[in-house]
This record gives sequence, structure tokens and C-alpha cells, in this order.
Amino acid sequence: MDFRLNRRHFLMGSSALAAAGALSPAFAQDKRLRLLFWGGQARADRTYGVTDLYTKANGVAFDGEFMAFQDYWPKLGTQVAGGNAPDVIQMDYRYIVEYATRNAIAPLDEFVGKELQLDDFDKDQLDGGKVDGKLYGISLGANSVAMMVNTAAMTEAGVAIDRNTSYEDMAALAEKFNAGTKRAGMRLLADGSGSEPALENWLRQRGKALYTADGKAAFDEKDMSEWFQLWADLRKANVCVAPEDQALDANDSIENTMVILGKAATTYANSNQLIAFQKVAKDPLDMANFPRAKAGAGGGHYRKPSMFFSVGATSQAKSEAAKFINFFITDPDATKILGVERGIPCKSSTRDVIAPTLDAQSQVALNFVSNLGDLLGALPPSPPANAGEVSQALRTKSQEVAFGQQSPADAGPAFVQQATDILARAKKS
Amino acid sequence: MTARAIGADPAPMARAGGRWTWSEAWRRNAPGYLFLLPWFIGFFGLTLGPILTSLYLSFTDFDLLTPPRLNNAANYIRIFTADPKFVQSMKVTIFFVLFSVPLKLAFALAVALLLNRGMRGLPVYRAIFYLPSLLGASVAIAVLWRQLFARDGMVNHVLGLVGIEGPAWISDPRYSLWTLVVLSIWQFGSPMIIFLAGLRQIPQDMYEAASLDGASRWRQFWKITLPLLTPVVFFNAIIQTIEGFKSFTPAFIISGGTGNPINSTLFYTLYLYQEAFSFFRMGYASALAWILLAIVALFTAFSFLTSRFWVHYDS
Amino acid sequence: MTAEAASAPPLDLAASPAQRWRKRVFGVLAHIVLIGASIVMLYPLLWMLSSSFRPENEIFTATSLWPSSFSLDAYFRGWSGLRVPFSTFFLNSLLISVLSIAGNLITCSLAAFAFSRLEFWGKNFWFAMMLGTLMLPYQVTLIPQYVLFHNLNWVNTYLPLVVPKFLAADAFFIFLMVQFFRGIPKELDEAAQMDGCSPWRIYWKVLLPLSMPVLATAAIFTFIWTWDDFFGPLIYLSDIRTYTVQLGLRTFTDSTAQSDWGGLFAMSILTLLPVFVFFLFFQRLLIEGIATTGMKR
Repeated sequence: MDFRLNRRHFLMGSSALAAAGALSPAFAQDKRLRLLFWGGQARADRTYGVTDLYTKANGVAFDGEFMAFQDYWPKLGTQVAGGNAPDVIQMDYRYIVEYATRNAIAPLDEFVGKELQLDDFDKDQLDGGKVDGKLYGISLGANSVAMMVNTAAMTEAGVAIDRNTSYEDMAALAEKFNAGTKRAGMRLLADGSGSEPALENWLRQRGKALYTADGKAAFDEKDMSEWFQLWADLRKANVCVAPEDQALDANDSIENTMVILGKAATTYANSNQLIAFQKVAKDPLDMANFPRAKAGAGGGHYRKPSMFFSVGATSQAKSEAAKFINFFITDPDATKILGVERGIPCKSSTRDVIAPTLDAQSQVALNFVSNLGDLLGALPPSPPANAGEVSQALRTKSQEVAFGQQSPADAGPAFVQQATDILARAKKS
Repeated sequence: MTARAIGADPAPMARAGGRWTWSEAWRRNAPGYLFLLPWFIGFFGLTLGPILTSLYLSFTDFDLLTPPRLNNAANYIRIFTADPKFVQSMKVTIFFVLFSVPLKLAFALAVALLLNRGMRGLPVYRAIFYLPSLLGASVAIAVLWRQLFARDGMVNHVLGLVGIEGPAWISDPRYSLWTLVVLSIWQFGSPMIIFLAGLRQIPQDMYEAASLDGASRWRQFWKITLPLLTPVVFFNAIIQTIEGFKSFTPAFIISGGTGNPINSTLFYTLYLYQEAFSFFRMGYASALAWILLAIVALFTAFSFLTSRFWVHYDS
Repeated sequence: MTAEAASAPPLDLAASPAQRWRKRVFGVLAHIVLIGASIVMLYPLLWMLSSSFRPENEIFTATSLWPSSFSLDAYFRGWSGLRVPFSTFFLNSLLISVLSIAGNLITCSLAAFAFSRLEFWGKNFWFAMMLGTLMLPYQVTLIPQYVLFHNLNWVNTYLPLVVPKFLAADAFFIFLMVQFFRGIPKELDEAAQMDGCSPWRIYWKVLLPLSMPVLATAAIFTFIWTWDDFFGPLIYLSDIRTYTVQLGLRTFTDSTAQSDWGGLFAMSILTLLPVFVFFLFFQRLLIEGIATTGMKR
């Protein structure tokens, strides 16, 4: 019996342990910045391209980490709870209020004008990163909601949508589409009843909004019932996909959206995702605005900060981090590498620099946001805490209606109640 | 050390007039404690602290970013009186455990028995049946499962061959949980391996003796195999049930972390995860976890107490 | 130890031709059932294998198993597409797994021996505590443990992942081994005692040699679980050069941008291989029976 191996194992094990312990890099002495961001390999390549440039120019080394969006928040939360937050943190519009009010990220006002040169920074994007009047995040790019359109399928069916198409036009268009399309099972629209951006866009066009500035719901029961009824009608008229198909899209990957799965000719997305969508789609794609609520309505879209860079509150190198952020959004070589992958750059000087270097589809993305015209409205206040939970509740409630478990008339008040409860819970903590 | 030391009951010390010496106590108890030393270090050093901390957290509001604040059991009150998602997740989890555990164990035992007969290609079959478990709970598997059980996926393709039009299993709230049950059963390789090891431990001469006595295969199974296998059956039943209650990753990945459609796949641990990491309510999540612990502990204690009626230890 | 090749209940050579024929038929039927079941079991994996050879946008739309065009592109992309070659992840995972196996086998068997063979004050209480650690979902102790490890400065090393294995933290294996040890006749212990063996020698010379099946099982499971462990490495490892295989796989998918499904499947297949090989190697140990020889002695 080979049990003597056990003792050898143990010795090997303990020396390996010691080696593993030595793997923890020695941070303290040389200047290093820890960077955390979400995204896939494509974004990582661009980001590390920029950090390499910075290292060459300034001698500061980087410990970068990236992961999928849904894994990002547990990781970041754990690190913050453990007192181990990174120096440069990629932040989302939805969470910036939470992190700022809990003092997990640092105010950047002291760096403005010095490490951070923001003279030609779009004002609305700058405001987007402010919480309680203080600047907590620098927007890395603006995007807006957009529909991804399968142009091949549309042309085959002889149907076209333009910037004036409204939900009221959809029934007639869908009839034409269903008659003319050769693609079995494909409908014109994805079921947007559970999509919070679609709801927000529609509410804004009617003069309402999702949330008030003090964190309460800005819609009422009548609005919600009408919204659910709108989609119930579209569903009945075969304008949008069936509930079982829409349920496949759990908002966790592009591959599961209706347009990529071939179940719809359009889907709801963001303007900076055109390139990503096109990579996985078999057909050529284009972008269009979200439908109008009714003819002539506008103001639904807005230029959203797609993501920010913030600085960790416990960072020992805040000024260096601010310098890096400035480099990220200003340096010509850096911004050329980044392109519009994170959104349209917010500094006009940067836009001028990169515009000639963009490929065709990036140009489309760039121009889309600037050409919105009357579809564009003001930037809403940053979402309150627990907005994510409300968004989830919307998705579930919409599924209940779609599968026939609740009528739109009942679902409207029920959802408003749910949303109010959720938002009220946030107030307590 | 006397010859009685190993099987000895500490009670004799009391019986012997109630006087005992430290060196005697040391001699009787030292072996046990010394063998358990690594476990004690781990338990007290690494596990107990976090467990007690989580108990404390369950009585607080803790959002991960600021220090916890006590809230007078408000979490527990809410769970038991005002939380429909708690009820839903309990329903989903119990349903899952009730169906997946017995079926999984039945398959595992049946295949283990079949494989234990000895045949050509035994190692190959054993490896094949274990392969699904090797993948564990991975992203790849979840994606696969979504494909297979989609409306135009392979499962419906096969059903179509016999004229049945299957629903969209994975995205229909009536059936989505079943796809997870099937996924769990598909990975019966783990309990199967344990059953195989248990079967291998049964002495051959018992079968030989029984055959010589003219006992049929069936009788041999009932009178020898099954009774001697009961410790392993017990182990597998307890473990699979505990694991079933703790099941997380398949539901997480297949539903994209949402528990949809319509919360039909909202496993208890998934709900817990949402509360902790999506909504930053770590205190509430800790309360949820302790309730789960209580339920599972009750179940396990009950199992242990009733095990004396059917589990056969060879001593 | 008898070198049991395959069989369990031996063929009764005194059986009549009719009985033997029946046994044959049963054998063939068993094979048919097993083959059918194998196909069902394997189909998802075969799909994944074929997907790893397909071009990216065919993966979710093709219906047949056979790819329309074979390409190893996904494998190359997955292997070297990240900044760090996938081989690094393999080696890291290997290191952690091997250490975990050593830790588990040693310390869990020690603890199981104590619980099943020794008497000591408070034994049932500690056993219940041990089982209790099995029942708590890991998300709960995650944050307090993270803080603990952070205070020990173990974050971003492999220590939080490996040290608990050397401290018998896997109650699953303690429980498993307890059940198995209890199946080994106590007479063997007592016989050894008569010969003057200390508990340590009984553990080492009597119980462990007879426990090859359960030790092999524990080794297999430990390897697979540490190989597949995702959440632990996610939380404790920051430097991509220390990433394990599962973390590497996760970088292939992302909800906000395009995922590399081909690469994911290709690398998943590759990560399966070591586990599979490990299993094949150790399952031989599962074959060997035990107590027969023990009794005869």
C-alpha cells in the first residue's frame, strides 16, 4: 500500500502552500492602481490597451480585473465590505447613488480643473455623475436606448419603420410583415412589456417618468394598466412574440434576445451595443429609435451615461486614479483604442479626434445619438435605490399578464403597489 | 491503554464511585480529541466565527457598504408575515426536493446494481453515467439545457417524431421547474458512485453462502444487499436532500438569476442570493439562511432519530 | 485483497442450461438498456462537443449534431484569446485540486475515525455541530469569512481555498467516511487491540487499507468539486494570473456584450478532460472489495 506517499504529499503540499502564499503580489512599494470593470474580452482588450499606454507614459502599473456584469456586483460589494475596494471602479448609473451615499466611492470635485480637465465635457453627462451636488463619477460615454432592427428580414417582408413609427402603427405594419415574411415564426416586435427602458421611454413621451427626484414612483395605476393593455392587444394581434419566447430573454446575454434568436425582427437594446449585436447576428442589423407612444409624441429618449469611472473611498492613490481617468477620456491614442465601445465620448475634443477613425457601424452609433432630434428629452434624475428590484418586479408582472395569470386592469394597480412597497423599503435603510 | 479503551464508554468513570483523575480523563478522551484536532482548529478558527456573525447579521440591516444596524428581528417578522416571495421560493424548493431526490436515488441505485453485476465494459459505462456529474454546475450546461428544452429544441424534436407537440419547456412557467428536476436527475452519477462503493464493500462470501443455500437473486437482494446498503442509502438520502435544499447554480444560470418565468424557478437560495447581492440586504438574507438551516436541521435530526428503525450497522 | 476484475455474485455453474440462457438474455437486455441510457446521458455533452467545432453564429441555430464545417478556431481562441494562456488556469486549478485532495483525505479520515471508532466526552454534540456546518448555504458565511480572511491577509492567495481542506472543513466527507467506517466490522479493531495496537495504528494499519473505495470516492469528489468551484475563486482571487479554470470560463460570457460561446464550449470540453482522466484512474480503486479478506484473517 502506498501510504508513505501521504507524508510526501504533505511535505509537497506545505511547500506548495508557501509558494502559493508568495504569489500574493507585493503591493505596497511601487505605484500600482487596482482597476475593476465589467465586460467581455473585447472590452478588456481595449481597456488594457489603454492601461499599457498609461504605464508606458507614467510608470504606474495596473492590477486589472474584469468579469461579467452579473458577477461584478457581488464581487465589488464583497470587496467594499471587506475594506478592500479597488482604486478605479467602473460604476453604473443605477448604483452610483447607493455607493455615493454609503461613502464607498470618493467625491471627485477636488480634482476638477487639476487632474481632471473637464472644460469641454458635456454638461448633462457631467451632471449624471453627480449625487447631492457632488461629483462621484466621470461618464465614460453616452448612449441612449435603441431598437436593433434586422434589415434583411424587414426588406424581405417589404416593411420599414422610420423615426415616426408609433405603437399605433404597429398593428398594420405587423399584418404586412406577417403576410410578407418568409421566416417562419418571426414576428415584428419583441414583447417589451417587461422592459423597464421601454416603459420609461413610453411614460416620458406622455409627460410622465419612472421616478421622481425624491425616489418615488412617477407613474400611476392608469398608466400601468394602459401599458399592459397596449401589449396585451399587440400580443393578440400577433405583432409581438409569444410569452414563452420572450421568457427566454432573461436579460443576461445578447444571444438570448429575440432578434438574435430569430423570433422577432426588432428588439430593445442600447445604442452602444450595435457592434456587439452584429457580431452574433447572421443578418445585417441597423438601429432605430423606440416607437413613439402616438403620432407626434417625443421626448422619450435621453442621453444616458453608459457607465462611469469612480474612485474607491479607501483608495490610497486618489489623485493618481483621477489622473488615469482623465487620461482615459482625453488622450488621443487612448480614446482611439477605446472607440465608442463604452458609448459616445463626452468630451467634444475627443469626439473630434476619434470620429475619422471609426468604422462604419461605430459611425452609425455615433450619429444615432446626435440625430435623435425631437425624440430626445431631458436626463431624468438618477434612479433611486431599489430601482433594480422594481425593474425585476416589472418583468415578473409582465410575464403574469402575458401568460394570462392576471388581467391588465388588475395588473396595473398591483404593480404600482409592488413598486411603492419596494421603494419604501429603500427609504428605511 | 487498556484493551477496553476504544469501545469504552466514558460512563464507567462515574460508575466507579464518581472519583476520577485528570490523567484518566486524558487517557480516555485524548485519542478522540487528538484525531479531531484539525477539525477543531478549522471549526473554531474558520467556521464558528463566520457562522455566529451571520446569526448576528440576521438581526440587523446590513447593506454591505455601511456597518450593520440592529433591527429587533424585523427581518424574521417580515419573512413570516409579509413576504410572498419567501412563500413562493419555499414552494419551489420543496417541490424540487420532493421530486428530484427520490428519483435521483432510484436511478442511482438501479444503475449501480446493474453495473455491479459485472459485465464487459463496466468501467466504460460507469464513466459514461458519471460524466454529467463531472460537469457540475457550469455555464455550459445551463446553456445546453436551455437549448435542449426550448420550443424548437431537441427534446421537442424527439417528441415530434412520435407525434407529440411539446411546449416551450424552459420558458413556460408550468414546466420550467421540471427541466431543473430533470437536470438534477441527469446528474445521478454522484450518488451512483457512492452506491457502487457501498456495494463493493459487501463481502462476497455472504452471496456465496446464500447461493449455496439456494436463495434466489431476488431474495439475495432483499435479505443481503439492501440491509447492508442501508447506511449508504441513509447517507445519500440525507446528502441529496441537503444539497437539494441548497441547490443554486442551475437555477441561477438557466433563469439568468431571475427565478423566472414568473418566479417558477425561484429557488430558496436564489432568492437569498438576490436579497444579499442584488438588493444589498445582507441582514435579511442571513435571516433567510438561518431559517433554511433550521428546516434542514430539523429534517436531519428527524432522519437520524428514525434511522435506528431501518439502518443496519455492522456492529 | 482479491483482484476483483468485474463480477459480483458469481455464476452458479450448477445451474441448468435454461437458467444460464435466462441469465444470458438478461445480460443482453441489460446492455441494451445501458446503451440506450448512455445515449440519453451523453447527448447534451455530444452537442457541446459538436458546438465547439462550429462557427459562432451556427451554434444556436443548427439542429443536427454533425457540424456543417469543422474548425478548431474556437479552441485556439479560447486557449490564447485571454491575456493569459488557458494553460495557466489549468495549472492553477490543478494545484488547488491536488492540495485539496491531500487535505481532505488526511484530515477528514482522521475526524471520521474519531467519530466512528472512538469514544470521548461530547462526541454526539460535536457530531451534530459537524453536520450543522453542512447545512448552511455558503452565501451566508461568505461575507464574514471574507472579512476574516482579509484580516489574515489571505485574500488574493490560494490560502482561503486550500487551508480549510487541511482543517477538515468538508463535513460531507467526514459524514461519508463515518458511514463507511461503521460498515467495517468492529471485530477487526478489537483483534488489533488484542495485539496491542494504539488507536493510531488501528487507523493507519487496519481501517485505512480497508477503506480504499471510500477514499477513492472522496478523492474523486474533491477533485471535481474544487475543479468546478466558481464562487470561492471569484471572491478571493483578483490577479488574473492566479485564476482557476472556472473563472477563466466565465470571462467568455457577459451580458452587456458579445459572448464567445464557441470558446466557452471548447474550453469546457478541455476542462472536462482532466477531471475525466482523474476519474478513470481512481475508479479502479473502487473495484477492489474489502471485508472478505479481513474476515478470513
